[in-house]
Amino acid sequence: MNSGDLDILLVEDNQDDMDLALHALKREKLANRIFVARDGEEALDFLFCRGAFAQRSFEHPPKLVLLDLKLPKVDGMEVLKQIKSDPRTKTIPIVIMTSSKEERDLVSGYNLGANSYIQKPVDFDQFRETVKSVGLYWLVINQPAPVSGVRELAAARP
Amino acid sequence: MKFSEQVDAPIEANLRRRVAGGFILATLMTVLLGFLSWRSAQLAADDADWVAHTYTVMDAIELMSRHVAAAESSARTFSMTGQDSWLTQYETASSTVAQDEDALRSLTADNPNQQRRLDVLEAQVRSALKLAETIVAKRSQLHAAPGASEVLQIERLMNVVLVAGQEMRAEEVQLLSRRTQKTKAGRRFTGFVIVVGIFVGAGLLALARLAINHELDVSAQGREELKISNASLEQRVEQRTTALQSEITERRQAEDAANESLATSEAALKDLADQKFALDQHAIVAVTDVQGTITYVNDKFCAISQYSEDELIGQNHRILNSGHHPKEFFQQMYHIIANGGVWHGEIQNRTKDGSIYWVDTTIVPFIGADGKPQQYVAIRADVTERKLAEKEIQELNDDLELRVAERTAQLETANKELEAFSYSVSHDLRAPLRHIGGFSKLLVEEFGSSLDPNAKHYVERIQSGTQKMGVLVDELLNLARVGRHALSLQPTRLNSIVAEVIAILQPDSQGRQIEWAIADLPAVECDPVLVKQVFQNLLSNALKFTRPRADADGSARTGTPAPTLHAVIEVSHKEEVGQSVFMVRDNGVGFSMKYVDKLFGVFQRLHSAEEFEGTGIGLVTVQRIVQKHGGRVWAEAVPGKGATFYFTLGVEKQVESKSSGATAGGQS
Repeated sequence: MNSGDLDILLVEDNQDDMDLALHALKREKLANRIFVARDGEEALDFLFCRGAFAQRSFEHPPKLVLLDLKLPKVDGMEVLKQIKSDPRTKTIPIVIMTSSKEERDLVSGYNLGANSYIQKPVDFDQFRETVKSVGLYWLVINQPAPVSGVRELAAARP
Repeated sequence: MKFSEQVDAPIEANLRRRVAGGFILATLMTVLLGFLSWRSAQLAADDADWVAHTYTVMDAIELMSRHVAAAESSARTFSMTGQDSWLTQYETASSTVAQDEDALRSLTADNPNQQRRLDVLEAQVRSALKLAETIVAKRSQLHAAPGASEVLQIERLMNVVLVAGQEMRAEEVQLLSRRTQKTKAGRRFTGFVIVVGIFVGAGLLALARLAINHELDVSAQGREELKISNASLEQRVEQRTTALQSEITERRQAEDAANESLATSEAALKDLADQKFALDQHAIVAVTDVQGTITYVNDKFCAISQYSEDELIGQNHRILNSGHHPKEFFQQMYHIIANGGVWHGEIQNRTKDGSIYWVDTTIVPFIGADGKPQQYVAIRADVTERKLAEKEIQELNDDLELRVAERTAQLETANKELEAFSYSVSHDLRAPLRHIGGFSKLLVEEFGSSLDPNAKHYVERIQSGTQKMGVLVDELLNLARVGRHALSLQPTRLNSIVAEVIAILQPDSQGRQIEWAIADLPAVECDPVLVKQVFQNLLSNALKFTRPRADADGSARTGTPAPTLHAVIEVSHKEEVGQSVFMVRDNGVGFSMKYVDKLFGVFQRLHSAEEFEGTGIGLVTVQRIVQKHGGRVWAEAVPGKGATFYFTLGVEKQVESKSSGATAGGQS
């Protein structure tokens, strides 16, 4: 594991939500290798290794993306769509974490390939529990896709 | 008949040939026999002639011999005697000999042998007579008697004459004998032929008899066949006769029918005329030929079109076209009627002065014997007023539809706004609540030790408030969702839903003694997601309002009502006026029927929040769902005794209760 390795990409525009989420993740020791993107465009640049993140490599994807839906510039659904429709990024686990549990968001989120959908509980204790569960599951329990496989997929792309 | 003719012809020809052959043979035989008989008789006659002829010849020879002898003897006697009587005798005899010679010569003319002998005999006779004459002359002139040599010579001559005569006679007798023999042989042959002929004739007759018998048999067989053939013929004749008779009967019947139908036709023609009159009274009638040229119009046609009959007859029907209908309209119409179909429709026409009228039209093709339309009869009714009214209605409808569309668009906009509102509520309203709750929690956690107990209490009140607000927001959003939710009806086993809901509510009933009385419920056509919310709200309420009932350990949480009774929650249904009414009954605190109207109002509560928590949105949600199904919900209650909530899910939504039996087994 080198310095490029990353555990979590948190995509969150709201400062309050970001602070609370980071607080919860830190408490569970899950925030050591975390990067926060403040809008959809930044998140896409980060994941596709372009713009300010051109030095990044597809070989070191985050183990988990926590994605809010209401985002400036490029909204969460569009971010999800681009990640899941590109062979270089489609294997990255995306967990939608948002205030809403509107049916249409659930339906389109899963249709676009979201790996999980979580409504942020109002109660902070519950919120912390949720963050803990999600972090443990995706960072510890879950076995990510091998990077070499992703590279092959990327090479196969015209 | 023809067949047997063909068969008989060769037989008959054969028979004829054989009979003719037989007859020819028999005739030939008869002719032959006759000829042979005649020939035999002829031969016998010839035979007799020849015998007679022979005797005549022999007589003539005898006579001549005697006359020669007489002449010689008389000559000799005279010569010796000189008596003249002998001389006379001699002269008579010698002259007679010449006659005799002539007679004999003519008698034997047919026989050259006898003629030759006669020549010899004559020469000898002449010698003898010459000698006799010599001696006679000697006597008469010399009166000398003949010498002995002369007498001897004469005697010798006389012998020669006699011998020659005898030879001739012998010849004749021999000839006669030969002839008689030949005749006899002929007669024998003839007799043989006759006998053979008789036998052959008899044989032929026998054969003829056999042939005739055979032919008789054949003809008898023929007659038999003929008889059979005649019988068959007669039968056929009889059949044909019967057929002809029935044909005749049929024809007669047909004739009768024709006569009858003629009478009927006359009546029908009268009927037709009456009907035409009636039709003319009511309808606009026109007749055209297949090209569309008008051949007949009635008065009503003239009246509505404003043309006179003379102006219309001979014109093409197009004269009335208003130009309203597209070309295809008439093409389709002509296609139908030209193929023998009846066309019905409404046509806009133009009168002579250019105004418009509408006619409800039926065009009937009259089909000719060749199966093709000969002419078209159009029967119409004036529907101009109706069409105008329809047009007005159409305009009104169009206007109405436009307004409905406008209103719908407005409503859709409003709905979208509402949706956008609730979406932003769900996002934006909950976020600050989370923040308030989250940070106040962190405040207590991280700085709790330095906080005044009162300050701590206030922070806790803030947290509790945010939580309540969170629930409220969630319930309001749910209510909004129910409103937007499109019903997805499917046959649903209500008992399964109830069982599911009870399982969800398990945490709320933990540690309490609750008697669930769940009856067999029918399967109904409903939206299971929404109906589940109905039961969840109603059963959750029942649990909440029975909380004062005795706990599992028998103690009551509050004073009223009597703590000895445990909670009973009942789910059942009844059939009422053709629909299922579902009931959720509890023996909880109940409520006063005074406030029953407020029960289903948003944020309306009949109990204090301290007594029973709640947002006042649950029953509104229930009502919304039931109404969405076309049903209704109502409640009855007695304070302190309990409450019953009733609801229906629409009259025609119920599925045949056959599946309720299956449900019954799984229910406890």
